[in-house]
Amino acid sequence: MLTGVSEAVYYILAAIIIGSGVMVVSMKNIFHSALFLVLCFFGVAGIYILLSAEFIAAVQVLIYVGAITILMIFAIMLTARLYSAQIKQSNEQVVPGLIIVSALLVITIFALSKTTWKLSSQAPETQTVAEIGKLLMTTYVLPFEIVSVVLLSALIGAIVIARRD
Amino acid sequence: MDWIIPAVNLKLILPEIVVCLFAILILVTDPFLSKERKIWSAHLSWIAVVIAFIANIRLWNLQEATFTNMFLVDNYATFFKFIFLAGSFLIILISMSYLKREEILHGEYFSLILFSTLGMMLLASGFDLVVIFLGLEIMSVSLYVLAGFKRSDLASNEASLKYFLMGAFATGFLLYGIVMIYGSVGSTNLGQIINHITSNDAGSNLLIWAGAGLLLVGFGFKIASVPFHMWVPDVYQGAPTPITAFISAGPKAAGFAALLRVFLFSFTTIKMDWTMIVWIMAALTMSVGNIVALAQSDIKRMLAYSSIAHAGYVLVALVAGGETGVSSALFYLLAYTFMNIGAFTVVIALGRKGQDNTKLEDYSGLGSRSPILAILMTIFLFSLAGFPPTAGFMAKFYVFGSAVKSGFTGLVIIGVLNSLISVYYYLRIVVLMFMQAPVTRTDNERIKVAFCAILVLIISTWAVLQMGIFPQSLLSLAQASVSSIF
Amino acid sequence: MISSSPYLILSAVIFIIGVLGVMVRRNILVMFMSIELMLNGVNLAFVALSRQLGNLDGQVVVFLVMAVAAAEAAVGLAIIICIYRNKKSMNVDDFNLMKW
Repeated sequence: MLTGVSEAVYYILAAIIIGSGVMVVSMKNIFHSALFLVLCFFGVAGIYILLSAEFIAAVQVLIYVGAITILMIFAIMLTARLYSAQIKQSNEQVVPGLIIVSALLVITIFALSKTTWKLSSQAPETQTVAEIGKLLMTTYVLPFEIVSVVLLSALIGAIVIARRD
Repeated sequence: MDWIIPAVNLKLILPEIVVCLFAILILVTDPFLSKERKIWSAHLSWIAVVIAFIANIRLWNLQEATFTNMFLVDNYATFFKFIFLAGSFLIILISMSYLKREEILHGEYFSLILFSTLGMMLLASGFDLVVIFLGLEIMSVSLYVLAGFKRSDLASNEASLKYFLMGAFATGFLLYGIVMIYGSVGSTNLGQIINHITSNDAGSNLLIWAGAGLLLVGFGFKIASVPFHMWVPDVYQGAPTPITAFISAGPKAAGFAALLRVFLFSFTTIKMDWTMIVWIMAALTMSVGNIVALAQSDIKRMLAYSSIAHAGYVLVALVAGGETGVSSALFYLLAYTFMNIGAFTVVIALGRKGQDNTKLEDYSGLGSRSPILAILMTIFLFSLAGFPPTAGFMAKFYVFGSAVKSGFTGLVIIGVLNSLISVYYYLRIVVLMFMQAPVTRTDNERIKVAFCAILVLIISTWAVLQMGIFPQSLLSLAQASVSSIF
Repeated sequence: MISSSPYLILSAVIFIIGVLGVMVRRNILVMFMSIELMLNGVNLAFVALSRQLGNLDGQVVVFLVMAVAAAEAAVGLAIIICIYRNKKSMNVDDFNLMKW
């Protein structure tokens, strides 16, 4: 189990993540939603550090906070009239949505808690960056190449669809 | 640090490399082409598909994995790649005249078609859930854009948006399923998953069960099965018609390729656990698709619901399982590709610039305006409805036969009843074409069909009749493609 | 050895918040943000399990998932910009040219 300081840090981060996650989906103003999304992403990065996945934590900050949310804020700036827009926030699916989602939550947590985990006796990696780099160039070389094609096709696609004639 | 570079056999991945390189080549050359020569991008793209097809023939009867067991070439994957490449070839041909007519002829269109085809091929060959996921993403990202390729048309924008939101939502579920399987197996490789499930008593492992369920949700969106079908009608109706045909042929088959591979080859030992769920999905998918199709007044929307129903028939084959079940599913998907693309080609031929003419009343009197088109449309619709002697009949016959053999007679009865319902809405169009006078219209000009579209019509008619009258050769090919696995 | 259960439960909660967001909200951008929340839940589970299993495969997969998420974000926001240009609205319910 978690002990001492890391336990306290875990609970603080979990509270931040869940709180800001709830705010993202419930705020009236989408600009505020985006800001809470940034906070949530930072919290997740903190959890990654707690799990000693420093590389992933750095990438999380760079890609999610640095790229994706900034892109979203750009989209908000370009499209919404920020403070005048009165957007209808929810739809008639609230009740069925809540039912489905709570069922899903119960099943997931049940499955997670009932599972006997396959534990490893290996000590946690210390040099994760070097190891990840090595894995990407050996075992995962095909997915690594494919992801470059995903990025290329997304790049072309985004230009094609957003440019003016 | 010791580096062991894994042995890589590039010959196995040659069809994918060809498709990818040509897609990039089109991007590079397109800016240098003058407006009148843009069509060269289209020619490059079909050349790429033909070369990949030939490269793929050379892989037949090979069974080899490469890239540290992530990429598997076997007859199953090769057969699916034939379906994808044939579908893409026909779509490229019908797109040329359509894009010219709508004045949206850009090289990127063909590049994206090739990227999407590449994604499908990776889905068929992926032997690791990560590769399957990435293949799905290449395919989907290109399709989101292609669905919105008519940028000034609001319906096309809307199709693109809905497809994107639903696709990304489904991706989330798929990934969560992959996490759960990774958690209980310790790897995402299908080979290790099979080992884990057979060696442990995995039927009791709740996490694998939950992971399989989430994977089913993720794939369910891609193959458009009920209850994950809500995006289908809008996307099919709003997207440019060649893309509608494309989405209904290749990506659906690709979704099935991965679904069958994961569920029938990896989760076989826990088959009883999920067969009931797929049984219900199949019954619902067939029934909802066919019943809602009855009420449609737009042919693209009607074909969308019919495409949902056809996904249900293929799910019947998944329920049946086993060698006969999978080979009948392969045969069905091959037959569906040709008959559906054929029907959509006629739909495109009736359109005019900025006016798609997809209302059902646009078809009344087609028999007198253009008898040949009407006869061809009748053949495709008969095939979709499952009349002999067409491919659709044989395909349904094999699927239902395999289900009866496995003891799922109840599901087959539902399937046959659904086929009867579907006869009504397919025949309604035939009746409109031959028994009604044409609506008085302002543009009663002759219907001109472009050379490439004629070629597509000839190929698909030939394929539909060939598979309907002499199904044996292609069926034995489908059987050979699964025999290596079982 | 640490137990990853609390992390997995946290990841499930984030994922579920995302699912709920997509289902009940009708603003395209918020729906899109909810999808990103779902992916973050997935990534968190991958990292926690990777730590538990003692192999780094999970972290590599997270790296790939992030790249894909960025690609999807680019395409998604391009579609949103394009649709906004033609129709000045951000509410999915307004896109009822066809039945939703």
